[in-house]
Amino acid sequence: MPIEKSDLLQGTLDMLILKIVTLGPIHGYGISQRLRQISKEVLLVQQGSLYPALHRLEKRGWLAAEWGESENGRQAKFYKLSAKGKQQLKKEEWNWNRLAGAVASILQTAQ
Amino acid sequence: MPSWRFSFRKRTLDPQYDSELRFHIEKLTDENIAAGMTREEARRRAVLEFGGAEQIKEELRDVQRIPVLETALKNFRWAWRFVRKSPSFSLVVILTLALGIGANSAVFSAIDAVLLRPLPYPEGDQLMRLEQFHRKVQAPLGRLAPARLQDWNRMNSTFQAITGYYTEDESETSGILPEKVTAAFVAPRFLQVWGVAPELGRDFTPEEQRWGGPSAVLISDRFWRNRFGADPSVLGRKVTLDTSNKFSCAIVGVMPPSFLFPDRDADLWIPTPLGGPYTENRDVTWYLTIGRLKRGVSLQQARADLATVQAQLANAYPKTDADLGVSIEPLKETTVGGVRSSLWLLFGSVSVLLLIACTNIVTLLLARAQQREHEISVRFSLGAPRAAVVLQLLTEAFVLALAGAVLGLIVAGAASKVFEFLAGNLPRVDEIRLDARIVLYTLICSVVATLLCGLFPAIRSTRGNLSNSLAKTGRGQVAGRYPLQWLLVGVQVMLAVTLLAGAGLFLKSFQALERVSPGFDSSQVLTFHVTGSYAETANPRTLAQRIDGTIDALRSEPGVEAVATSSGLPGLARNYEVELRFTDGESTPGHKILANNRFISDGYLAATKIPLLEGEDCRKGFGSQETGALVNRSFANAYLAGSAVLGRHLQAAMSNAFLGPGEIRGIVGDAREEAVNREPTPTVYWCGNGFDPDPYYMVRTRTDPMTMTETLRRKVHDIEPGRSVFDVKLLAARLDEAFGEERLRTLLLSFFAATALSLACVGLYGTLSYTVSVRRREVGLRLALGALREQIIKQFLFQGLRVTVLGCLAGWGLAVAFTRGLSGMLYGVSPTDVATLSAVILLVLVVAGIACLAPAVRAARVDPMQVLREE
Repeated sequence: MPIEKSDLLQGTLDMLILKIVTLGPIHGYGISQRLRQISKEVLLVQQGSLYPALHRLEKRGWLAAEWGESENGRQAKFYKLSAKGKQQLKKEEWNWNRLAGAVASILQTAQ
Repeated sequence: MPSWRFSFRKRTLDPQYDSELRFHIEKLTDENIAAGMTREEARRRAVLEFGGAEQIKEELRDVQRIPVLETALKNFRWAWRFVRKSPSFSLVVILTLALGIGANSAVFSAIDAVLLRPLPYPEGDQLMRLEQFHRKVQAPLGRLAPARLQDWNRMNSTFQAITGYYTEDESETSGILPEKVTAAFVAPRFLQVWGVAPELGRDFTPEEQRWGGPSAVLISDRFWRNRFGADPSVLGRKVTLDTSNKFSCAIVGVMPPSFLFPDRDADLWIPTPLGGPYTENRDVTWYLTIGRLKRGVSLQQARADLATVQAQLANAYPKTDADLGVSIEPLKETTVGGVRSSLWLLFGSVSVLLLIACTNIVTLLLARAQQREHEISVRFSLGAPRAAVVLQLLTEAFVLALAGAVLGLIVAGAASKVFEFLAGNLPRVDEIRLDARIVLYTLICSVVATLLCGLFPAIRSTRGNLSNSLAKTGRGQVAGRYPLQWLLVGVQVMLAVTLLAGAGLFLKSFQALERVSPGFDSSQVLTFHVTGSYAETANPRTLAQRIDGTIDALRSEPGVEAVATSSGLPGLARNYEVELRFTDGESTPGHKILANNRFISDGYLAATKIPLLEGEDCRKGFGSQETGALVNRSFANAYLAGSAVLGRHLQAAMSNAFLGPGEIRGIVGDAREEAVNREPTPTVYWCGNGFDPDPYYMVRTRTDPMTMTETLRRKVHDIEPGRSVFDVKLLAARLDEAFGEERLRTLLLSFFAATALSLACVGLYGTLSYTVSVRRREVGLRLALGALREQIIKQFLFQGLRVTVLGCLAGWGLAVAFTRGLSGMLYGVSPTDVATLSAVILLVLVVAGIACLAPAVRAARVDPMQVLREE
């Protein structure tokens, strides 16, 4: 069953976007495609959540954006990770792993 | 989206949003076409899948918005929660600030009313006081002859108009009983210069200001209400002045209540008709002179202009005008005069007090921030930017400061009462009030206080490494030394010492004043006026007989020891220093004889208890040729040392109707005639009652003088039914009033200094208590390991006292620099008086010691077992 945004842990979408953008400059459509593909269709992000998140991350200085030509020759907005964004991603990944580890160990103990 | 949200750049980014979203839809369409749909179907499905583009765009706009108002409201809500969560902490901060801000606003309201605001007349800054002075001989000639006033007014090019006035205390007898009124006799153009129109009726007509024209009077609002019950049909009724010869004049207008010139007591304004027999004499001294500058004319231009005018007059009238100069000062300066320095001094001290209060709060907030370290780092880790956290902390400080300011306004509201109570003779004291300007000033104060108190702790507590403090737990922490808090405490002590030093010097100066032996005895002397008119000076012999008659009648009253009159009271007399010469043979050649001149009646020595050293007392009479003069010992020593004094003849160096010639008939002891805090100067007492129609009466009684007031009043009424007795006061009370300004600054400065000291001690106590609570574990361990409780007490006591001593030393240095500026305000004590400074420092050490003792003892009471158990 696919997980929609409302079920995502708050802040998780931001981390996922940052992670995907590490692979290189990419536009909004590309991000939504990649999220779907990599998560094997589990995570379906609505555009209504994706674009505000992108703009928020850009405003915080974690993403840098510029307009460029897409593969089919049309103008698109490409996002890439900034230095600040790299640090933030590292921090969030660390936090996530810690949390995930903690949750996992609780689940195991409780079995 | 609520419309009240404050937003920037609402629509400018819309085209970008459109193309970004359109790109996405196009890609989705491409995808659908690739899956085999028709173009229209593919597009329809893509739009459907994408969802509401408008809604997304609105959300994107939201991201760019800076919700100023919303954030502020949220910050205020949180701040309010913070204030309520720790009520005692908040209360301490609010009260400290209320005191600091309130005292500051109170003093500022006085400064604003007295010094900053223009006089309460239209374009009051254009009003100037003009005086003439003699360029060669030192002699006050401030009052102007009518002819010269008219010349100045006609010939100048920098004034809109120049006018003059003089006042008399008269009896108004149109009612059942004679009533004392203060009448101002005014030259033409009087209301024109003030720029004020009567509230009822009209200004004087040109006919009324001409000799032989119809009589006219303008009355004050107060007189209108008291005497005529605010009757609107008062115009045309008569006012009768009965002091010299019955003189009735018709009321032509009522002035507005705000018009209080020359002073609050003015009841009547009466034109002095020009063109009459006396008004062409250029030697007479009638008018105090006021002018209104033309728009855009500077003081320098006006001075140069009048100098030119007077130079032309000197050519035209060499005999009378050759040696005269003109001085011009803004009326506000001459009104406010000397209180400027006192008020700024108070403002300076009250600002130091606010600074101490803020420093105190900084220490409190720093200690508090340390407790909140965890909360702050949690907020950081949740992604709050530093600026937002700083803003939040500042909002907390602002809420506290605002509450303090509101309370402070109540303090400031009482300021006018306090100033009036402490120094009723302060100029413009009745203009001090709480208004929008003061409220605005108080608000600015609270913003400044917020920044002073809040910015530093906010920036400091949001610095640090976050993950570190998150990981740290409260208990494992090693006790810090908090050098910053101790520095701030030291600064408070330093500032408090400075204020205390100032207050101490003023107190000592005040004590010195009280110990002064002025050379006269002010106890048991009642003083008052009896109405009189300058018209009486036309016949000095009759005038002298009239006053002598009153004196004799008063002397006949049982219980009266001595009665005299004098043109000024001892200890309060204006310095009337004039150059004199001996008419019989010269004194030391080349030696100018400058002396203060006083006009007294016989009996003055008995009334004041100034001792007669040689010769005899004054005789009765009207002029010094009959009555002679007395000189004081300083005069005899300075100008007649080694030669005979009695029998010499004195007169003014420049011809003067009042000053001699007269024979020196006695030498009296030195008395501080001018002011109790001024050394006696060479003084000549001219005897006789023919100079002044309205002198002070001085009655020395055997019992309490106040109980005799009614008896004396009736006695005067018996022989002078047309005159009124007024301004009845004890001489001692008048002397006391004369030091109103000194008392004001001494009391207020002492109050500010005491507050500063208590604030500094609260700071000391708080910081030491905090240190003790943080180091509780360490103390417990040491006690468990065998440390003595006395050692613990000593250690904490010394920690507090060391800072105090350093603060005192710094304060000493600051005080020496600061009190040097006070030298002009001190009497009988040097600004660097070591005894005062030492006493101040001793006081600070004792009080600080007491403040430190409680936390130190509390530290020693720690139960080691309990501390170890808590581990």
